[in-house]
Amino acid sequence: MHPADVMIKVMASQIKDGEVFLHGLASPMPALAMFLAKLTHAPNMVYLAVAEGIDPDPEKFKLYPSSADPRHAAGCIGIGELAEAFDLAAKGKVDGMFLGGAQIDKHANINLTCIGSYNKPKVKLPGGAAAAYLSPIVKKLILWTTNHSKRTFVEKLDFKTGIGYEKGKDKKVVVISNMAVFEAEERGLRLISVHPGFSIDDVLSEMSFEPVVDGYTTTQPPSDEEMKIIQKLDPENVRYLEFKK
Amino acid sequence: MKDKLVDLDAAVDLVRSGDTLTFSGVSMVRKPMAFIAKLIQSGKKDFTIIDREPGMDFDILVAAGCVKCARAAMVGFELFGLAPNVRKAVQEGEIQFIEETCGAVVNGLRAGAMGLPFLPVKGIIGTDLVELHEKLGNWKIINDPFGGGEIVAVKAIVPDVAVIHVQKADRYGNASLEGSRFEDVYKAKAAKKLIITAEEMVPSDYFKENPERNTIPYCYTTAVVHVPEGAYPTACPNYYPPDYEEVLRYLKMCREGKVKEYIDEFIRRW
Repeated sequence: MHPADVMIKVMASQIKDGEVFLHGLASPMPALAMFLAKLTHAPNMVYLAVAEGIDPDPEKFKLYPSSADPRHAAGCIGIGELAEAFDLAAKGKVDGMFLGGAQIDKHANINLTCIGSYNKPKVKLPGGAAAAYLSPIVKKLILWTTNHSKRTFVEKLDFKTGIGYEKGKDKKVVVISNMAVFEAEERGLRLISVHPGFSIDDVLSEMSFEPVVDGYTTTQPPSDEEMKIIQKLDPENVRYLEFKK
Repeated sequence: MKDKLVDLDAAVDLVRSGDTLTFSGVSMVRKPMAFIAKLIQSGKKDFTIIDREPGMDFDILVAAGCVKCARAAMVGFELFGLAPNVRKAVQEGEIQFIEETCGAVVNGLRAGAMGLPFLPVKGIIGTDLVELHEKLGNWKIINDPFGGGEIVAVKAIVPDVAVIHVQKADRYGNASLEGSRFEDVYKAKAAKKLIITAEEMVPSDYFKENPERNTIPYCYTTAVVHVPEGAYPTACPNYYPPDYEEVLRYLKMCREGKVKEYIDEFIRRW
């Protein structure tokens, strides 16, 4: 099974019925996960997205390479400006947001800005998008990376674009990689599960810091029924483009 | 209402070298590409460009050497990769890049539209962006005068010119955005000059029949230009989707060192 499909299943399982979730640009897996949740265990979740369609119709949906593609809003019940979704987040009414991370530290803080120094970067990354604004104000922050490696899981970020674990705050931070799932705690990043096809050694040897390991499970992959849903929403496998060949 | 219908060249005449500009749309949607082609052709430069999450509009202006400073929360081509020319120019120190965060740039534009000096914006505190923007004088951490603690004050963004590509407009500059609006209404109202480029010209009765169609009324508009396919290769909702193959061709030519050839072709399109 492709790790994208396992990651989509894990993302979907973070969404509870009735919750409000938002995804931004370059987010094919979060988009599919939001639909998967809506079509299975969370029919009343509220779907907000960068294409600005509120609750697009899954029957009319097909995944395209730009998350803002206007066709992603097909069959929606209304237009919700992203600015309005940000207002809702400021009111504490956005339950969850998905963000990528080029670098992730043991507190699940993220860097999406630059490799090297800000003023003279070795690599200028695309930028943090809504990370700095939303990461401190949503209740669930779902981070993902398709590149589980020492370059991603770093001891020290080159730039702090978004904030992960915050002590004493009602905020859950989950990190989903192509190999494993973690949750941020005061002690650090705790391993929750390892995806089928990977070993604990694969996971640990590709991290620059040691996560907290005190019992973990195998990640639950999508069922045949769930795979059918994902395939129907993304018949051309756009979700795999994000992975290094 | 005054007749504001002009051609692209006359609209470009409203822009001066050194201006701060903002454009409609995000990523590969409703970017005013025809206007940008004519702007490059005009030879004007030293622009500061501001937007939330731009893509090819920023990248091609930077490739053409028109940009002094770019300010955005994210610039790229999503699954197709980084913006090659922005990346190169920033890494080689040719342009200044100011990284924004969506909530701040949106509310900076809203403050501009509202005629306010700033808006308080939640979140952000604790990230490295604060120090960067405090140094530049764009943000300042203040205390909520009503006892809510520290909050970021984002200075109003007032671009010299906003260029907004819409689906429909009349010759007086009433404009209809269909589907996703992004921050385009705020950009239109924040800017000192507003240029509307439109897929289709409609009579004013189109708005009189249904006034809620009028998302940007004429009193904000400086000039309006009729430009069918004016957002191509980015999308114009209800008219055409993004042309992903064309965007990939641009990126391929950039990789092969042929961006100048692409720009020549891009200008000739209009």
